[in-house]
Amino acid sequence: MTAVAEASPAVDAHRSRSARRRRGKSPTLTVIMLVMFAYAVLPLFWLLANASKSGADLFSTFGLWFGGDFHLFANIGDTLSYQNGIFLRWFGNTVLYSVVGAGGAALLATIGGYALAKYDFPGRKALFAMVLGGISIPGTALAVPTYLLFSRIGIVDTPWAVLIPALCSPFGLYLMRVYAADAVPDSILESARIDGAGEFRIFRTIALRLLAPGFVTVLLFSLVATWNNYFLPLIVLNTPDWFPLTVGLNQWNAQANSGTSGAGDATYQLILTGSLLSIVPLIVAFLVLQRFWQSGLATGSVKQ
Amino acid sequence: MRSFVRTAGVAAALSVALAACGGGSGGSGGASAPAAAPSKSAAVQDALSKPAELTFWSWVTGIEKTVARFQAKYPNIKINLVNAGQSADQYTKLQTAIKAGSGAPDVAQIEYFALPQFALSKQVVNLADYGAGALKDKFAASAWAQVAVNGGVYGIPQDTGPMAMFYRKDIFDKLKIEPPKTWAEFVEAAKKIKADNPDNFITTIDPGDAGGVDSMIWQAGGTPFKTSGESSVSVTLGSDPGVKQWVSTWNTLLGEKLVDPQPGWTDDWWKGMGSGKYATWLTGAWAPNGIVNSIPKTKGKWAVAPMPQFDAAKPMNAENGGSSVAVIPQSKNIPAAVAFAEWLNSDPEAVKSLNTEAGLFPATKVLLDDPAFRDAPLEFFGGQKINQVLGDASTAVRPGWQYLPFQVYANSIFKDTVGQAIDGGGDLAAALKSWQDRITAFGTEQGFTVSGG
Amino acid sequence: MTVQAAGARRPGLTWPFLRLRVAGYAFFLPFFVVFLVTVVAPLAYAIYLSFFQDRLIGGTVFAGLANYTRAIGDALFGAGLLRVALFLVVQVPIMLLLALGCALAIDSGRLRWPAMFRITIFMPYAVPAVVAALMWGYMYGDQFGLAGQIGDALGVALPDLLSRSWMMSSIGNMVTWEYVGYNMIILYAALRAIPEELYEAAEIDGAGAIRTAWSIKLPALRPALLVATIFSIIGSFQLFNEPNIVQKLAPAVITTSYTPNMYAYNLAFNGQQINYSAAVAVVLGLVTVVVAYAVQLITARREKTL
Repeated sequence: MTAVAEASPAVDAHRSRSARRRRGKSPTLTVIMLVMFAYAVLPLFWLLANASKSGADLFSTFGLWFGGDFHLFANIGDTLSYQNGIFLRWFGNTVLYSVVGAGGAALLATIGGYALAKYDFPGRKALFAMVLGGISIPGTALAVPTYLLFSRIGIVDTPWAVLIPALCSPFGLYLMRVYAADAVPDSILESARIDGAGEFRIFRTIALRLLAPGFVTVLLFSLVATWNNYFLPLIVLNTPDWFPLTVGLNQWNAQANSGTSGAGDATYQLILTGSLLSIVPLIVAFLVLQRFWQSGLATGSVKQ
Repeated sequence: MRSFVRTAGVAAALSVALAACGGGSGGSGGASAPAAAPSKSAAVQDALSKPAELTFWSWVTGIEKTVARFQAKYPNIKINLVNAGQSADQYTKLQTAIKAGSGAPDVAQIEYFALPQFALSKQVVNLADYGAGALKDKFAASAWAQVAVNGGVYGIPQDTGPMAMFYRKDIFDKLKIEPPKTWAEFVEAAKKIKADNPDNFITTIDPGDAGGVDSMIWQAGGTPFKTSGESSVSVTLGSDPGVKQWVSTWNTLLGEKLVDPQPGWTDDWWKGMGSGKYATWLTGAWAPNGIVNSIPKTKGKWAVAPMPQFDAAKPMNAENGGSSVAVIPQSKNIPAAVAFAEWLNSDPEAVKSLNTEAGLFPATKVLLDDPAFRDAPLEFFGGQKINQVLGDASTAVRPGWQYLPFQVYANSIFKDTVGQAIDGGGDLAAALKSWQDRITAFGTEQGFTVSGG
Repeated sequence: MTVQAAGARRPGLTWPFLRLRVAGYAFFLPFFVVFLVTVVAPLAYAIYLSFFQDRLIGGTVFAGLANYTRAIGDALFGAGLLRVALFLVVQVPIMLLLALGCALAIDSGRLRWPAMFRITIFMPYAVPAVVAALMWGYMYGDQFGLAGQIGDALGVALPDLLSRSWMMSSIGNMVTWEYVGYNMIILYAALRAIPEELYEAAEIDGAGAIRTAWSIKLPALRPALLVATIFSIIGSFQLFNEPNIVQKLAPAVITTSYTPNMYAYNLAFNGQQINYSAAVAVVLGLVTVVVAYAVQLITARREKTL
């Protein structure tokens, strides 16, 4: 893992892109990219169209267009009120796990990455290699041991069983190590030390500010990872009251797909609408956070 | 067929009379269950009046209403109802929690096919020790036989799924076909449906649904899985006569593409069921709910008939699906857990609620024999009194079927073997042989003595 | 990583030097504790478990390396590994080439509405794999799904996208859809880091857009591409969510051992063979590490010789 600094979102914000701004637009390129655009958006449009259909239309009208009646709001109402409004509870859980988990993960990764990049301590390289190796172990296969260990410390079926693993982001650590190497000049640290500042104070007052764009980027990626986390919560949670959206929606799906015991509710509509509702906040978060990491990722002066 | 139905009806009435006579004698438990320790039975009686808190895992939609009725009647006992997942998902959690030593519920829903596995590894309480044997006569014989395994009573039957043929009356009428009474007639009907429109099929078979095929083999008179003692099993998917009968019929149906190897419960499948692409559904008596809820537009088009037979002179039926309610040994209040499980599945108010509010097909005679249940015409089914057909289907279930003590795993690899032949074409007998081989390998690895053939 | 910590220049066990070491450890500690609890401890436990055998009859016995020798000779495990290796060789290059193309196009300055393209192509990454598999699963349906409906509308029979011969492509498409935008963003960020002076120099030389892309952008992207490749390799070996959800629609095509990760999962959860499953997981992890490391070595060596 040498010389990967350029891979980071660590980008100097002072450069101008005037050279590129002057070139004319290419219609061919735009058309080719419109194909990519359609590829990315088509499934989402399908979801929107079908979440807007009545249950009767769902199984009887063309998939890529809206049904006879526009049922989206009725479906949203049904989704939010089904099983005493458990969807909202799941939604709240997902927000809790994502905000606390991703926030914590980004913070830990930032501090840890800073330590690896800016301090020379024995075992530094070995520890880093160990963390990267940890990513290669399939999480699904560790599920049973994780469950048994969590059970031993008594956190199975509590939010902690989801939150604690969410705090660990090896990818975030990797990213921040690369980012910190560039973003925090050694000279600033040296002069702060000469001024007699303590290491923690240097981190808090100087480094953290410089690391902010990287922090936001890691936060964003961790947010997505936690929001979409499915497998671990599925294993460690039993009580639907603690489910995140992904597990809850899948439970509805399983319910729709089985009738061997009990009344199979017609929940397809709820699953589609629930899926739609579950991705909206992330897309909004992207759009909002976009401004932040745009300043981190790209050069400030270029508004293409 | 007529005469069979009548005989079955008489038999059912008889068994009610017998049950009435035998009421209160108690202790007539599972096969060789030892007489319950009186103190434990007494503890169960007392438990309902003492404060307790129980966690109950169930994925039945609507069962919260039945639980609420229990709460109203016994406010001392607080029930935490948890939906911990469907079927195999829940078993995984249950087994992991039991292994971990904490986190398991007091009471859990377990399907009949999985119960022997839990019973063998002592992961559920032998309820015979708590006097549950006395309940035997309250339940349909086919239901009780499925909880009285390994010489004990490991669950209280909750619902059953005696098999029946749900068919699209409109399609059969249009093509002037009589609903088939035998499998030979079924094949003929399938050919007519296919000839009318090559895109249509008489039915589907799910390459991933081991339970469906298990049930059809059961219905064909087969007993390919047997357990004797604690550690020896026999698997005879190659030589069992019932299996052979099923193979010959379904090799024809699949070979001539008269049935669609379409996974069930999918979007495509429901659409096919709604559009008339599929003319019948051979399944458990719990099916009406799914049909009514998922394809409401087919109202008035469906009817129910008994399963097609291999030998019309010796009609046989099987169970498909259905669950029991078991008590987990980790429970801190086993007597209360047993009392709850018993009330939930045998109290007249509870079983009525399970049927009408949770949509379960009953396991208890009190309901199966109730004229209000049996003779109710169902509007969705064109006014047919379908519970008569389904109730008789329950009585006709062939006794003697057994599941393996590791059926959950065996069923999970069904799709790797038999499912391949169903989906991709190929000889079912050879596919069953490869299923047998994988089951045998697993059983041997797990320390069982596996005999086969 | 050529970062030199301040203290490294004057080795010696003086307090200012020790102070930096202590601070380094202290800063790294919180992350490391979480890492120990959530990754190392379960992994160590899994390795421990992999040396035993737990039977329904007979209980738990020490098995030595038996689970490992069995895993290495296991045809189902081998077939699954081969399948994901094939997936890796085909899907990863396609996805990365698409991501590279998109990143270059958005960065080129010759595209209309680049911000719109950047956010929409990235959007699928925000869709949970569970939902993505659900959506594509519905759409692949050859009878009443979108594929079937389009086929009917055009009057042709489209191939069954959930059949044996198409399944890998269908899963590949799902994974590509989910991650092309993610990889694009990583590459795009790397492009943004190229110093402006390089472009100015190229402009003075009269280099066109394509030559600039070839001689300036691509070399600068190499490290980022390596990172994206490594993460894609890890992702491919761990392929699980997509096939696991689609299997409901095509149970016979997606067997219980379709990917090594699914195999390990089914062993542990349906078969209760936790010990053997742990061994399979450890072997899978080792294979992943070796392949990822090999790719990195090959790239590094090539860079040196260039």
